Amino acid sequence: MIRNALIALTTGALLVSASSLPAMAAGKTIAVSWKTFQEERWKTDAAAIKAVVEAAGDKYIDSDAQGSAQKQAADIEGLIAQKPDVIMVVAFDSDAILPSIAAISNAGIKSIAYDVQFEDPNALYITFDNVGVGRIMAKEILKAKPAGNYAFIKGDKGDPNATFLFQGQMEVLKEAMDSGKVKNVCETFTDGWKPDNAQKNMEQCLTSTGNKVDAVLSENDGMASGVVAALTAQGLAGTVPVSGQDGDLAAINRVAMGTQTVSVWKNSVELGKTAAAAAIALANGTAADKIPGVAMFDGGKKKVKMNSILLAPTPITIANIGDAIAAGHITKDQACAGVKGDVMGCK
Amino acid sequence: MAKHHDANSEPARSREGLLKQFFNATEIDTRILGMIVALLLVWCIFDVWSGYIRPNEGLFGGSFLTPRNLWTLLVQTSSIAVMSTGMVLLIVLRQIDLSVGSMLSLVAVATGVLQVYQLGPALGVGHPAIWILGVLACLTLGTAIGAFNGFLTAYAKIPAFIVTLGGLIAYSGVAFLLARGETVAPMDQNFGIFGGGIASSWLGPFWSWVLAAVGCAAIVRGIVNGRRQRQRFGFPLRPVWAEVFLAAIGSLATLGTTWVMNSYPWPPGVIEKYAKSNSIAIPPGIENRDGKAICMAATQVVHCNEGLIYYTGFSLPALIAIAVCMIMTFIATRTAFGRYIYATGGNPEAAELAGINTRALTVKAFALMGFLVGVSSIISSARLNAATNALGLTNELYVIAATVIGGTSLAGGVGTIYGAMVGALMMQSIISGMSLLNLPAAYQNMVVGGVLVLAVYLDQLYRRRVN
Amino acid sequence: MAEVKTPLIEMRDISIAFGGIKAVDRASVDLYPGEVVGLLGHNGAGKSTLIKVLSGAYKRDEGQILINGSEVTINNPRDAKALGIETIYQTLALADNVDAAANLYLGRELRTRMGTLDDVAMEAETRKVMKRLNPNFRRFKEPVMKLSGGQRQSVAIARAIHFNARILIMDEPTAALGPQETAQVGELIKQLKADGIGIFLISHDLHDVFDLADRLTVMKNGRVVGSAHVKDVDHDGVLGMIIAGKVPRGATPGPGALVG
Repeated sequence: MIRNALIALTTGALLVSASSLPAMAAGKTIAVSWKTFQEERWKTDAAAIKAVVEAAGDKYIDSDAQGSAQKQAADIEGLIAQKPDVIMVVAFDSDAILPSIAAISNAGIKSIAYDVQFEDPNALYITFDNVGVGRIMAKEILKAKPAGNYAFIKGDKGDPNATFLFQGQMEVLKEAMDSGKVKNVCETFTDGWKPDNAQKNMEQCLTSTGNKVDAVLSENDGMASGVVAALTAQGLAGTVPVSGQDGDLAAINRVAMGTQTVSVWKNSVELGKTAAAAAIALANGTAADKIPGVAMFDGGKKKVKMNSILLAPTPITIANIGDAIAAGHITKDQACAGVKGDVMGCK
Repeated sequence: MAKHHDANSEPARSREGLLKQFFNATEIDTRILGMIVALLLVWCIFDVWSGYIRPNEGLFGGSFLTPRNLWTLLVQTSSIAVMSTGMVLLIVLRQIDLSVGSMLSLVAVATGVLQVYQLGPALGVGHPAIWILGVLACLTLGTAIGAFNGFLTAYAKIPAFIVTLGGLIAYSGVAFLLARGETVAPMDQNFGIFGGGIASSWLGPFWSWVLAAVGCAAIVRGIVNGRRQRQRFGFPLRPVWAEVFLAAIGSLATLGTTWVMNSYPWPPGVIEKYAKSNSIAIPPGIENRDGKAICMAATQVVHCNEGLIYYTGFSLPALIAIAVCMIMTFIATRTAFGRYIYATGGNPEAAELAGINTRALTVKAFALMGFLVGVSSIISSARLNAATNALGLTNELYVIAATVIGGTSLAGGVGTIYGAMVGALMMQSIISGMSLLNLPAAYQNMVVGGVLVLAVYLDQLYRRRVN
Repeated sequence: MAEVKTPLIEMRDISIAFGGIKAVDRASVDLYPGEVVGLLGHNGAGKSTLIKVLSGAYKRDEGQILINGSEVTINNPRDAKALGIETIYQTLALADNVDAAANLYLGRELRTRMGTLDDVAMEAETRKVMKRLNPNFRRFKEPVMKLSGGQRQSVAIARAIHFNARILIMDEPTAALGPQETAQVGELIKQLKADGIGIFLISHDLHDVFDLADRLTVMKNGRVVGSAHVKDVDHDGVLGMIIAGKVPRGATPGPGALVG
């Protein structure tokens, strides 16, 4: 979905360990093979990785495959020739990349699958816990409204993520639903994740239930804007909790205003910093399974067991908006525009 | 009203059936009548069906034929309906604009950025100049892009299909870049009146009735005037009963629609907030939102009257769509511009030989389309209270579908504005109705696509029989 | 009789080419007030193209057009109409999807004081014109595609003569008509002649031309073979010009005449 130009939000115990590790040794080389720099977000990741690597006194090199599997294979050969200690790969094609990963291992270099999984047991896989996004949404909404009628505004029917998110939500809500405390009153896919479609679906949901909707699980922030517009027209915005994800600036503003409950945010700066710290640890000889936060993961297509770090996304709620502002992800003016009353972080 | 090509002015012979005599005398467009009947049928089906799933206060016990749903339906239809009136003229002219959806995104995001990031900080949030400039920017930008499409089509002689297919792809790219894919929100507060989602965009019952009265007067006056004119030149006249019938039907439709709009009460949450911010005490009879005695729909009106109740009346977006329909019908039938569009669509060579500057005409038609996209972008972004590059996505398909369902022929030369409005209403009714039944979007797409093809098929059958 | 006056219209050395092929090659014709000039030739001889230059449908590559002795510019149909040149095309050039009045006034609609179309006035005028041209015409409210060939023809003729034309171009005006309607067109031409209107009559029917025209000009392969007064030549002589390009006695040879 929409990626914002993300800037640092300093969180997580991993990062603390990251900044303490590099003091031990320097002079290592960390290489990254990017799949493309056409998308704005990867530059954010690159900047975060480079900063951590260079702060540790190590060397950062990279290459841009420009959206081509062939170029990426050639890029990796070139990187291997420069004899780095670790190569991180953002695979353009997670199957076609496997021979290149084997070549990395054969050269005695450690590999990291960054954000995009490829199934090689020797690689360390670092990404956000995508099913977890759905869980976090449901948790936050359940916290705000432990019982009542829930509406589910799902993403596009053709996007598997829409279903994964819903699965995550259901895991959390199962108990409350089985006991009858939470009722599913509307559940619709939204063509193209379009906010205006979400708005129409929400309007029809409110019409059919006679406004008896107590909470809305919207799968992203864009659709949440449509949901909130529909609720506003019925005078319900602010009283009905609404979820979202992406950390959209407009969504954070809605969180500050109280019309949206949570925006789950996958901070790619955090991902970059964690990966860089892990790479430095690998370069210094730490075994992959000894790196803090590493667990076994076998949720891929071929169920290959891999060491992996699954980062928990950050829920932005009214309680921690101040953090997002402090981290520079959003300015105080943007976050707090039109906010009346007591909101922590807007004072 | 409008001029019907199918109408037969020759005196009806007594041999003909009573029904045929009736249609000949009233000059009612039987095609559009058929569509309206189909539309009403769809509404009834949805009401019955939704009542079966979850009983409500609709005419047949469902949720569809309630003032609330019909009110919402008009708001939901308005954006597509406005654009479809422009598409009618373009398709009649043997052109097409595939880029309207992307244009809408571009215009919405550009003016959203202007409002939120430029004017807001510069003038102070909520400054009255913001919404005025925002509206002007939407209309100007839309017209300019439309004229550009028209220029490439008419003067650079690139087929409109290609020009606007390119536009479809390119404009959405520009829209993405303008805000780097982010949602721009919230829009200016005053701008929100165009969206129908806030109390200030509701006309209220008094002014709604006033408008309805003006509308009825205009219908009667139009019929009387038309009759006088024809009398003056000694043309054949419609029988008096037919004139009276037309006036009555037109007025009844106007008053009926107004009555439905005036039966939709303000949502309780909105009343509560309004009462609180204006320090009005809520009398007994209405309880808080979680209570049960809240006026939800028409049948509870008696109960609600004990408490505090306001009715919405027409919403601004619905009024804009109705006004656009009337103005565009006027343009299509009463101005030389409209006449040239139809004549050129019927026979471009003949129009050229008759001295019509068909190139300038093409540019104007595209510019008008762009202007209407500007209007729709105002409605859409105000309604969502946000501007995003996804806002207009795939709108071109719905606009063209509404136009075609409304009887506009892709071969050019044939089509009516009010047909497209009914087409848009039909499509949105299906989408909203199925959404009300909680049927997945995939089914909605299937049915809308099927209706499109069926409508064109029935249209062809109809034309073959008439000719 | 005509020699003493200036020609109403004179086309001098007109040339026009399409994709390198000269459709009309240095053709000259003239026309005096109240005169009918027949233009004859096979299909593709260039007569229709020449006349479309005059009506503004095509733009000439070379040559001059003079009206009453002074040169004029005709770049499009609007220019031609402004100069009083009206055309009845072989295809009729009607917008089939609108009614007779809309076609009659296409491009020069009557307006109300508000600037809107005055449909009632246009219909009234159309009824008047059609009463004169084709008294049986009644279907004023229907798109012209629903009319018969003769009715459509009368709409096209009405359009050409309604706006005080000085010069009328008729391209195969009787091609689609029955004998009775053809006779009506003949009557009309005589009537227009009497009003002092100059008429170019394009036809491949010799009888028509001999019946109605005062002079005739024959074209072949884009060139003028020759011109003659109708009374100075006979059918065979004219056929010789059309088929072989041979100029008979009594006719003036043009640049396209067979030499020898």
